[in-house]
Amino acid sequence: MSLAAEAFVSQMAAAEPWPENATLYQPLKEDQILLSDSASSLAVQTYLRMCGLPVQVVCRPNAEYMSPSGKIPFIHVGNQVVSELGPIVQFSKAKGHSLSDGLDDVQRAEMKAYMELVNNMLLTAELFIQWCDEATVSQITRHRYGTPYSWPLNLILAYQKQWEVRRKMNAVGWGGKTVDQVYEDVSQCCQALSQRLGTQPYFFKIPTELDALVFGHLFTILTTQLTNTELLERVRSYSNLLSFCRRIEQTYFESQKAGGAPSP
Amino acid sequence: MGAVHAKSMDPLPMHGKDLGVNPDDLMEHPEPEPDAKQEILENKDVVVQHVNIQGLGRTKEDLLGYEISDVFNAKNLIDVMKKAHIARQRLLRLGIFKEVEVLIDTSEGADALPNGLDVTFEVNEIKRLTGSYNTMVGNNEGSMVLGLKLPNMIGRAEKLTFQFSYGTKETSYGLSFFKPQPGYFERNLTLNMYKVTGQFPWSSLKETDRGVSAEFNFPVGPTSHMLKWEGVWRELGCLARSASFAVREESGHSLKSALSVCIHIFTPGLSLLIRMSILSIELAGFTGGDASFFKEDFELQLNRRLFWDSVLSASLWGGMLFPIEGKPSCIADRFYLGGPTSVRGFGMYSIGPQSEGDYLGGEAYWAGGLHLYTPLPFRPGRGGFGDLFRTHFFLNAGNLCNLNYGEGPRAHLQKLAECIRWSYGAGIVLRLGNIARLELNYCIPMGVQSGDRICDGVQFGAGIRFL
Repeated sequence: MSLAAEAFVSQMAAAEPWPENATLYQPLKEDQILLSDSASSLAVQTYLRMCGLPVQVVCRPNAEYMSPSGKIPFIHVGNQVVSELGPIVQFSKAKGHSLSDGLDDVQRAEMKAYMELVNNMLLTAELFIQWCDEATVSQITRHRYGTPYSWPLNLILAYQKQWEVRRKMNAVGWGGKTVDQVYEDVSQCCQALSQRLGTQPYFFKIPTELDALVFGHLFTILTTQLTNTELLERVRSYSNLLSFCRRIEQTYFESQKAGGAPSP
Repeated sequence: MGAVHAKSMDPLPMHGKDLGVNPDDLMEHPEPEPDAKQEILENKDVVVQHVNIQGLGRTKEDLLGYEISDVFNAKNLIDVMKKAHIARQRLLRLGIFKEVEVLIDTSEGADALPNGLDVTFEVNEIKRLTGSYNTMVGNNEGSMVLGLKLPNMIGRAEKLTFQFSYGTKETSYGLSFFKPQPGYFERNLTLNMYKVTGQFPWSSLKETDRGVSAEFNFPVGPTSHMLKWEGVWRELGCLARSASFAVREESGHSLKSALSVCIHIFTPGLSLLIRMSILSIELAGFTGGDASFFKEDFELQLNRRLFWDSVLSASLWGGMLFPIEGKPSCIADRFYLGGPTSVRGFGMYSIGPQSEGDYLGGEAYWAGGLHLYTPLPFRPGRGGFGDLFRTHFFLNAGNLCNLNYGEGPRAHLQKLAECIRWSYGAGIVLRLGNIARLELNYCIPMGVQSGDRICDGVQFGAGIRFL
């Protein structure tokens, strides 16, 4: 968002407190949602739970088209519609809820750098595996993406999205990579995260949006079935990341199970 | 070659394009010829021996046979001329000839009868390919429009048209193939393939349709019928970031397949158009499969000439959309009401259910209008430009709402009768040809409900279909 638009949204947001009926929209969980979207959605849900902000998750088949930026997930709060984790963090900050206020400037810069790493590496790798690996595309992705539509629209939309993602991969320089190279990149990213995490419970003293983002991606990779288990194994080989995911799941999701909150 | 009797009779024009003379005019021909000559003209029995068409290139002759066959039945000279004239009109309406000239001559050759005639139609075919190129500037958008037409493509009056519009915001195109049945031009088939985009600021909605359609027209007595199947890939989106959430929820893709029947009954003074469609829209698998709608609407118009060149016109429109499987209707299928072309005095399509200023349309509506058209006061420019203008006094009323389908027809009618919006006023109408109309009206809207947007005072309207 441009600076002026950000300032405007902040002003509008600051006017009202977080309502009870805030809603988060994502594609259908059972049949339609893909790995990358599921990871992004889980990251936002985790962040909002960490802030203690209530949000209801609603599944819509056209969520991607409803979103103002075309990306999942987006939240509908009062009159506002905000999509993607970055703007949502800004939005909640304008309403007075923030996780990274306790950090100093150096730490905040470091946090942003790691978030960029996750977005540029993990998210791009997920997109690559979903849309550029022939086996995955033909067996899983195309079929899932077109589930809500009937023939021939399901094929047309799936192919259209595939070309769009491939163009994006070429633009960021991943067009020539092979799947194995991508797995290597994922391993390297996990290694960097693992080293930064070390033996601490969170990346910084308190849970921040970085924790939410990393949890979202890693947990989804660990619990999603793909054509092979290569990606899963690579992530699983870092035990401190595994325990990190387990810890966050227990703290923010399972503890509220008794209250009826759905697990991710 | 012998002198042609017809040619020597001056007052009767036989050649050329200006055969715009009506059969009735021919009858009125009052020249005081000497009796003998008049007798030759009117009472002589003739036999049409040959009817030829000259100048055909790619047109197939069997197509034309139907149009000109009636000329053979003429019994006397006046009849021949009348029937030849009608045949000429029929040839021209095929749209494949630039001009048609009729030549009537005595017949020659070995089998020529003394009272035999040969009728020859000299035709000039339209070029194989015509093109046009325009640039258009409209609402904040400029575009370049390229049109190509191939008339009479294979020889039986088929027509292929292609139009392509490339604009700063949107691109659209359409390909259309038209084939009439040889001998019954009014029975024809049209196949279309198109992509069109539309922007609807009153709903903050933009729509892109890519589709194919097949349409079959046929007349039955005085009525004209149309059967159409249409398959469209429809994409809806928000026009602005500030669109209401109700409109945002409708964004996305859907596939629509619709079968419609349209009946048009047209007699002098009365015009009735009824359209019924069965729409099937494939939506989310989440909700269990297809949703279907039955949509019906009608337009009725009655005109009556009154004293002093004025015309009283009454019109009634109505429509209803029934979802069949309980699925909510789509914003692009609902009806809209209001504006200079329907209930005047209100903003464009700005009546009825709305959310945050975006009008969502309704599932049922009716609208009625009563108009009195008179020539301009003091009749300036009479006989020329001034005749295109009319003063017009109107009374419009209408209502648009959604219905709760559990409640039965009585409740529906009651709901449509509550909260009627109406308006009255006067203005000037300019007719452009037989198709378009421009209006400038002073309107006073009444019965305004909260949420409607009005345009009281002067309102300008341009369009084709007016209430």
